[in-house]
Amino acid sequence: MQHSQQRASLPKLDVERFELPNGLVVLLSENHSIPSVSINAIVRTGSRYEIDDKAGLASLAGELLDAGTTSRTSQEIAETVEETGGHLATFGDYQSSGVVLTLLSKDLSLGLDVSSDLLMNSTFPEEKVAQRIDRRVAQIKARLDVPRTQASDVFNEIVFKGTPMHRPAIGYDDTVKKLTREDVETFYRCQYAPNNSILAIAGDIDKQAVKNRIADGFAEWNRSGQFGTTLVSQAQRQTTPIEKFVTVHKEQVNIIIGHVGITRGNPDYYSLLVMDTILGSSPGFTSRIPRILRDEQGLAYSTYSNITASAGLDPGRFIAFIGTAPENLSRAISGLRKEITRIVEEPVTAAELDIAKSYLTGSFVFRFQRNSQIAEFLIEAEVYGLGFDFLEKYPELIRSTTIDDITRVTRKYIDPKTLTTVVVGPVDVIEH
Amino acid sequence: MKTITTSTDAAIATSTQAGSFLTRNVQKMVLPNGLTVLTKQLHDKPVVATMVWYRVGSRNEELGQTGKSHFLEHMLFKGTDRYKKGEIDLVTHLNGGANNAFTWLDFTAYYFTFASDRWQSALEIEASRMRDTTFADEEFASEKQVVEEELRIGLDGPWEALENEVWATAFRQHSYHWPTVGWLEDLEAASGAEMKAYYDKWYHPGNAILVIVGNFETAEAVARVEELFGNIPAGPPTSPLRVVEPAQRGEKRLTVKKATPVERLFIGYHAPAVGEPDSYALKVVETLLATGKSSRLYQRLVEKDKSVTKADASYHDHIDPSLFYLQAELQPGFELRNVEGAIYEEIERLKRSEVSSAEMEKVKRQFEASLVIGSEEPLQQAMLLGQYETIAVSEHIPEDSRGFRYLDTLLDRINAVGIQDIARVAQKYLTDSNRTVGYLIDDVEQERDRAA
Repeated sequence: MQHSQQRASLPKLDVERFELPNGLVVLLSENHSIPSVSINAIVRTGSRYEIDDKAGLASLAGELLDAGTTSRTSQEIAETVEETGGHLATFGDYQSSGVVLTLLSKDLSLGLDVSSDLLMNSTFPEEKVAQRIDRRVAQIKARLDVPRTQASDVFNEIVFKGTPMHRPAIGYDDTVKKLTREDVETFYRCQYAPNNSILAIAGDIDKQAVKNRIADGFAEWNRSGQFGTTLVSQAQRQTTPIEKFVTVHKEQVNIIIGHVGITRGNPDYYSLLVMDTILGSSPGFTSRIPRILRDEQGLAYSTYSNITASAGLDPGRFIAFIGTAPENLSRAISGLRKEITRIVEEPVTAAELDIAKSYLTGSFVFRFQRNSQIAEFLIEAEVYGLGFDFLEKYPELIRSTTIDDITRVTRKYIDPKTLTTVVVGPVDVIEH
Repeated sequence: MKTITTSTDAAIATSTQAGSFLTRNVQKMVLPNGLTVLTKQLHDKPVVATMVWYRVGSRNEELGQTGKSHFLEHMLFKGTDRYKKGEIDLVTHLNGGANNAFTWLDFTAYYFTFASDRWQSALEIEASRMRDTTFADEEFASEKQVVEEELRIGLDGPWEALENEVWATAFRQHSYHWPTVGWLEDLEAASGAEMKAYYDKWYHPGNAILVIVGNFETAEAVARVEELFGNIPAGPPTSPLRVVEPAQRGEKRLTVKKATPVERLFIGYHAPAVGEPDSYALKVVETLLATGKSSRLYQRLVEKDKSVTKADASYHDHIDPSLFYLQAELQPGFELRNVEGAIYEEIERLKRSEVSSAEMEKVKRQFEASLVIGSEEPLQQAMLLGQYETIAVSEHIPEDSRGFRYLDTLLDRINAVGIQDIARVAQKYLTDSNRTVGYLIDDVEQERDRAA
């Protein structure tokens, strides 16, 4: 079988970066493939910066950004964007919050106007806060309908105990109910500051024209010094294995096995990306876990593993997942554990390494097909200091990985003896 | 696409331009063995999307044999004469590509995306598995377990449970009665020999559409297609399937019980097939009711009544008449019947023509923008071209809108919809007698039995 060693041509992002006097970082990338633009106006805050008693605050604040500003009601915000055919979303997750807009390019000015309005002038009307809290409480309940989510939540509570990562970003029923308009307002005033934010715009723009509009639109946003003071505790890997079985009456058992992972800034990130591709993160069923547990043994429709997917400012998680019929429970758990142990104890083959590298370098181009993907990449490159020449550097970061690197990083970052195993499903009716 | 505009301030996309940007430069040819080939060069991204669509889906199945089309889709990754088990994925992987497939009521479709310097492996694989898929017994047995697990994921989903029941109730005669994944009991009984016979019946060049979109040269691509697919025998002719659902004469209601903390509502109305004149006005109704936070259902149910966490309207294009449906997930403390009543009030407003011209303009722009923004990737364009070439085939569809040409006229027909059309189709389709209403409620008894 042959495969191409040619380098697929990558898009030229031609990124322009500058800072406004108030500290707002602006990133622009121009292309004219289709007449649309993506605007990602991101604040570097999230549930990472909230306390347990206020769990869900950052997420609620992010969702409420479009609930009203000093000059527009929530309905006017929605109509302003939707009248153009554009799409607006606001959010708050673990380490980022803000506004994501997709528009036809003729409506760019309006998009900038709405973005700056939401980040600078949101008013959080009392009635809207109460309404969204009620909705949040219902959404928290609805999570119990998705056993995979439930398994993930239980896993995080165990593995990230004592750190902000243990909480679901959406919060808990009892903490969300107690949140107030003042909590949201205070969080917004402290955290949503230009010197804590990044504005990325990708697509059919004229960079020079856009620059002036940005300077005008965001100039009156005042610097703040109140954010980012929280010292975030980092998760430590547990020293003994933990097992947790949760009974819910569903057709499948959902199983997550793993422990604390790595940060995005970890220098071994790229070797672990190659390792992920060999162990359990390939598309299709080439990597070990999907090939063996799904394609050969027929145990599951969905099974995979990864450590790099959740790497962020804080260590993410190393996990292996499988959803299977209850009668397969012990086979599924031992199958996952066997593959985790094998990749730590035995070197991967040269062929496996070669396939993984070919895949990672060849597929990189697909991360830059849409303007929204490009805008997301600009943010990622800024937050982690990847450099805007990352597209050129990436292939070499992957190609330089050796079998010894894989052995070294699996031994360093994966410990088959201290895994947490979480099972959610009809476990009361099966023997284990 | 570049020719639409490159200036930020130019008025883009009059409807005709936007409508045709998808079909511009599309070349269609039919090989002597019946294979339809659509190609479209797009040179602004260094990738190529390749799809094969087969005109077979759960619509073509029979009672007792449901789920075959979807199961067959899985088997097409298990190996051919030329590609041993695992090699289709391996070739994809080695070349940094992606592949997948999906099956629905009317079709089964396969796709590959590759960087444009190596995309032709997709053609080689598709040519090989069109007729030469192997059906090894042991592969069949293990893949059956995989498909059963996929089906169980659906059984665990509250929306799937309710949706399946509403479709099964609304359609008693037509094969849209069963879900594409099939009934678990049929799947358990399926045999490898039956699967092979089904493959032999439907997988032929004459029942397939090959779509290639991206950065390639047409002449070279067509030559390779002829070389790889040209010698595949035409296969037996497939006669058009005639299945009809008789008109519904009165409301149908059902309840699904399932352990769940959140109650849900699903209302389905029988609605026209793809390309029927009234289908365009119903697409406008769909957008008006549920696209964005300024939409009717969001403003009424989420903002005003505060009775639901989400509400949606959907109307998909299918070969035969299907359902226009509404969904709502309830805020605890609210009653299903009250939310249902509020939805009917919103529908009555449409019947009374209570729609402003500004709202009509908004909805049409939303429709158009989503088509433009949703077509950034070559694969997204290949999906649209392939889908309509596969399903927009009925004789009732005007010739200028048949096959992928459906996309030529889509926006013009949407833009021609007036407020009186909204009222007319609401009065005609969104009626009591034409609907099936499903409630999903918590299975308190089951939980009590388990606890006992």
